[in-house]
Amino acid sequence: MFEYIWLVPLFPLIGFLVIFFNFRRLKGVTAGVLASIMVFIPFVISLFFFFGLMNGAEAKTVELFSWISFNKLSIPFSFLIDRLSGLMLLIVTGVGFLIHVYSIGYMKEDAGFNRFFSYMNLFVFFMLLLVLGSNYLILFIGWEGVGLCSYLLIGFWFKNQEFNNAAKKAFIMNRIGDLGFLLALFMLIHQFGTLNFAEIFSKSSAIPVGTFSITMITLLLFAGAVGKSAQIPLFTWLPDAMAGPTPVSALIHAATMVTAGVYMVARSNLLFVLAPVTLMTISVIGIATALMAGSIALFQNDIKKILAYSTVSQLGLMFVALGSGAFTGAMFHLTTHAFFKALLFLAAGSVIHALHGEQDIRKMGGLKDRIPVTFWLFIIGSLAISGIPPFAGFFSKDMILIGAFHSGYVLWVLSVAAALMTAFYMFRLLFIVFWGKAAVAADPKHPVHESPKSMTIPMSVLAVLSIIGGFIGVPALLGGSDRIQVFLAPLFSSSEAFLKHGAEVSESSEILLMTIPLLLILGVIFLAWSFYVKNRNIEQEEPERSFLGNLLYRKFYVDELYDTIVQKPVAGLSTFFHDTIEVKVIDRFVNQTGNLVVWIGKNIRYMQTGNVGAYLFFMVISIILILVLNLFK
Amino acid sequence: MKAIIALSILAVLNMFFGVRKMKKVLLPLIFIGLIITMILNISDWGKSVHYFNEMFIADNFSIAFSSVLILIGILIFMFANIYYKGVERPLEDIYALILFAIIGGIVMASFGNLILFFVGLETLSISFYVLAGSKKFDIASNEAAMKYFLTGSFATGFLLFGIALVYGVSGSFNLEAINTYILGCNGNVPMIFIAGMLLIFIGMSFKIAAVPFHFWSPDVYTGSPTLITAFMTTAGKVASIAAFYRLITIAFISLHSELTTTLTVIAVLTIIVGNLSAVYQDNLKRMFAYSGVAQSGYLLMALIVLGPKSAGILLFFVLSYVIATITAFAVLMLIREERGTFFIPAFRGLAKNNPVEAFAMAIAMMSLAGIPPLAGFMAKYNLFVLTAEGGYTWLVVVAVIGSMISIYFYFKPILASYFSEGEPQHKIESSVNFKINILVLSILMILLGFLPQVIINLL
Amino acid sequence: MTDKIYVPADYVPILIQSLVALGFVALTMFATHFISSKRKRIRTLRKDENFECGIEVQGNARFPFSVKYFLVAILFVLFDVEIIFFYPWAINFLQMEWREFFVMLLFVALLLFGFYYIYEKGALEWNNDE
Repeated sequence: MFEYIWLVPLFPLIGFLVIFFNFRRLKGVTAGVLASIMVFIPFVISLFFFFGLMNGAEAKTVELFSWISFNKLSIPFSFLIDRLSGLMLLIVTGVGFLIHVYSIGYMKEDAGFNRFFSYMNLFVFFMLLLVLGSNYLILFIGWEGVGLCSYLLIGFWFKNQEFNNAAKKAFIMNRIGDLGFLLALFMLIHQFGTLNFAEIFSKSSAIPVGTFSITMITLLLFAGAVGKSAQIPLFTWLPDAMAGPTPVSALIHAATMVTAGVYMVARSNLLFVLAPVTLMTISVIGIATALMAGSIALFQNDIKKILAYSTVSQLGLMFVALGSGAFTGAMFHLTTHAFFKALLFLAAGSVIHALHGEQDIRKMGGLKDRIPVTFWLFIIGSLAISGIPPFAGFFSKDMILIGAFHSGYVLWVLSVAAALMTAFYMFRLLFIVFWGKAAVAADPKHPVHESPKSMTIPMSVLAVLSIIGGFIGVPALLGGSDRIQVFLAPLFSSSEAFLKHGAEVSESSEILLMTIPLLLILGVIFLAWSFYVKNRNIEQEEPERSFLGNLLYRKFYVDELYDTIVQKPVAGLSTFFHDTIEVKVIDRFVNQTGNLVVWIGKNIRYMQTGNVGAYLFFMVISIILILVLNLFK
Repeated sequence: MKAIIALSILAVLNMFFGVRKMKKVLLPLIFIGLIITMILNISDWGKSVHYFNEMFIADNFSIAFSSVLILIGILIFMFANIYYKGVERPLEDIYALILFAIIGGIVMASFGNLILFFVGLETLSISFYVLAGSKKFDIASNEAAMKYFLTGSFATGFLLFGIALVYGVSGSFNLEAINTYILGCNGNVPMIFIAGMLLIFIGMSFKIAAVPFHFWSPDVYTGSPTLITAFMTTAGKVASIAAFYRLITIAFISLHSELTTTLTVIAVLTIIVGNLSAVYQDNLKRMFAYSGVAQSGYLLMALIVLGPKSAGILLFFVLSYVIATITAFAVLMLIREERGTFFIPAFRGLAKNNPVEAFAMAIAMMSLAGIPPLAGFMAKYNLFVLTAEGGYTWLVVVAVIGSMISIYFYFKPILASYFSEGEPQHKIESSVNFKINILVLSILMILLGFLPQVIINLL
Repeated sequence: MTDKIYVPADYVPILIQSLVALGFVALTMFATHFISSKRKRIRTLRKDENFECGIEVQGNARFPFSVKYFLVAILFVLFDVEIIFFYPWAINFLQMEWREFFVMLLFVALLLFGFYYIYEKGALEWNNDE
């Protein structure tokens, strides 16, 4: 049945083309409904595939056509459907569909409604290419395509220059990572002579651990992941990316695109286990990002920025899992994170919608009773992300923490710290927004209102998933069968076994590892409650901050740092290049070449006299020349 | 062979209905006939049938190129009613000549014998001479026909002389027999034979309009009726290059190394002169003539490096060239009909009023210029890779420079239709049918860009 | 092909003939230059005429005449030439089967169709002034 896999990306592509070429003509919500259907059909197909895979269907490479063949290198245009891509398919189309439906309500009033949905469908198409590609090149096409869509959607309201700058920033930051990715592709071709996953992974088994070239390849691949998944040092674009419409933040900058880096590393797990240095780097960068982004989120006041930093931090945790070899844990967290972070973003969007575009949490408050549905959904999301059982986040975070524990106590302690931060900033957000009194008097013209059904229903579905999504990975300890581990075992078991350090964790210490963080998290939530509900100290004005507080509020001055050490020198250099080298040397050279070509063109046409005699004369001369030169050499 | 018979019957029927003044029957009849011909032609695929003492060989190569020629016929007749809008006459003579020219082309793609080769060539050429002058009361058309006839018969003379010399020395018109003769000479091929072979190649260079035998093409292509220009640039080039390839690979393969220098020089000159001359043209029709010259240069590259895939690449190149050129000419005809001019300003503001036409034109021009991922790019890319693998890196460099120059003039109409600042021209009314046709062709150009191997691996 | 192998010396007669031919032209051109009078050449209307044989030219040879003459002439030649194909067929007629008979019938049918075509087109109508 997998032969029809090409249908999956085809539908969003058709949706994109139809909407894009008719976007002046489509009226009302037609485009939105059409776009949603074009994501729903692949979702249904993916469901069939997924159950097929669950019932033990073999992974299959479906070659559509041979695409590039050059010397010995041949790159077919083919899709790979296995358990990993099956899972990703379900996330992309499922969450994507829900967010499409949500957007119909959210974007209803927007002038760019049709344009929005065409971009969204294009995004889904590229994301599906990325997930389904059976070689690195198709993955790369999807990778670049989603980057493009991300750029288009961040700068969706292109009349605002700041939003455009945010879009450009995202694009450029991603480009830096992509350069690494591209270099990795070249090295892969050099090393293996192919870009096909299957061939590379089968050939890699013969390579000893720690080879320089493999280390380089994996480091470069990881550089690509750093850009796409917003890790240190390329994470600053993601918070700025919140300039786009909220459904975009939910779909692209939380649930799917930013997790592409995680997917790519997980997909290449057989390469990464051969490079301990890279795994080490991934862990370090992951935990550093998790802590840094988590601490920044503690004192932000923009509701979407908090969620954005939270996303960066959660991605950091996924990379910690990848670095410590818990690939299943990373994929599991990716899945649950897609549910609850999408839910949180959509709920935040619902809050913003209710307050007519207000994003500053200090100006909110007391929304508990006024928008109850959103409130309850938000609570579910917060509980899930904080890791309270039995919500989804608990199980996946637990799996990551155990993975981190395998790599050493330090990593575990730091990961727990990151988890605590998560709980704190999420509940700070929750308490400030929904408890207390309304900070700003309600505008009678624009009353606060609950969102329409088209928005609340998708959120509810996501909420249900956030509650039950964790049950696919209940560890044996709690009586579960850890189904996700079993499901993904064909892909990860060999590399996970390859990395197993020492003995299994004993049952008692596993209980300890589970309960200690849980207790701490509950404590932190209580702390947040006492700060923001009991005492309700929210500064409306810019407060005097301590050095540390300022450091956190200003996001560690990372943007300013990049501005000083990268942007200013580069800007200076580029001014020099432009004013001196470009204008005076290159431009002149190029222009003169162009002029020369036009000049020759102008004069060469005089050869075309229009006189047949002259033509025949030229021909005879040429014939004589050809004959003489060939016959008497 | 079936294709030729079917086409001949079709042409005769067409003349019959035309002379009975049944104008409405003609085009549908021709379409049905051409499609049947196409099916008959393809039905011989893989059989490699030899007819009449090796005179006519229907192998995969000839079937593929014959199919391209029949496709050209279909496309040309698709746009015939645009060009001959408002003409009361049934026009069966022009249609018949087009069909006969296609027959000549098919013979040129399928011959196994120099005599048949010459017959095919003349069937094609004489039809062309008449077609070029088919706009009887237009002085430019008359001039084109006269010039084409004079220079063409001059070149044919050399070609025939070449055939005679080759026959005189080798004693056979059969391509295989000629090759056997060359092998039998053990490297001491008589000079007369080489001279004959060179003269044949000179004649062929004339037919594909390679520099320095290209002088006729700008004048003829500019003067001829536009529809006929579209037909001559495509069909003439396809048939001639197929014949050229057949001659080189079957009869003269053993002497190929002796020829490469001459062919290379001609190819380089053709690419450079063709592209440079096109730069200054504001008359699109004339620009197409020169760009056609440049495209011949690329085609010659495939004859210089003969690899296992060169036939397939040649086929793909020709196919992408045909589709792009006819699409561009279709739009051009529409614009000429409305605005009365072939000059660039006629395109001003086209994108605003006629988005479909502007889009098709842009795709066609970009494909000709070789912008990825369109068909033209894949064609050039594969050709250049083939040439580079054969060790002619510098030739590839020249060709790439030529392509870069070509972007300048191919983009002129695109810039005019999408980005011009002046007052846009009024809207052109065109039928839905026309729009669908050019859109389908545009999509085909995009699709072929993604599936080049499908075509290349045919041969 | 004959078995004789030609050496360059065999072409000497051809060379001589070419030389003589070329030489004659060159010689006459050269000679006239010297023979003619040294005085500057007098150009008169008479002297520049194509034919200086005493009979005066009546009008211009390049006057337009009806294209019908041309048409009829070329059609005559066309059909006349087709007769060439009948000769070999007629000579071998006795050895032939029915197949060849029908082949020739087809050929004649095509010719007849051509005749019908030009007739319907009005190529043979003489008194048609339009």
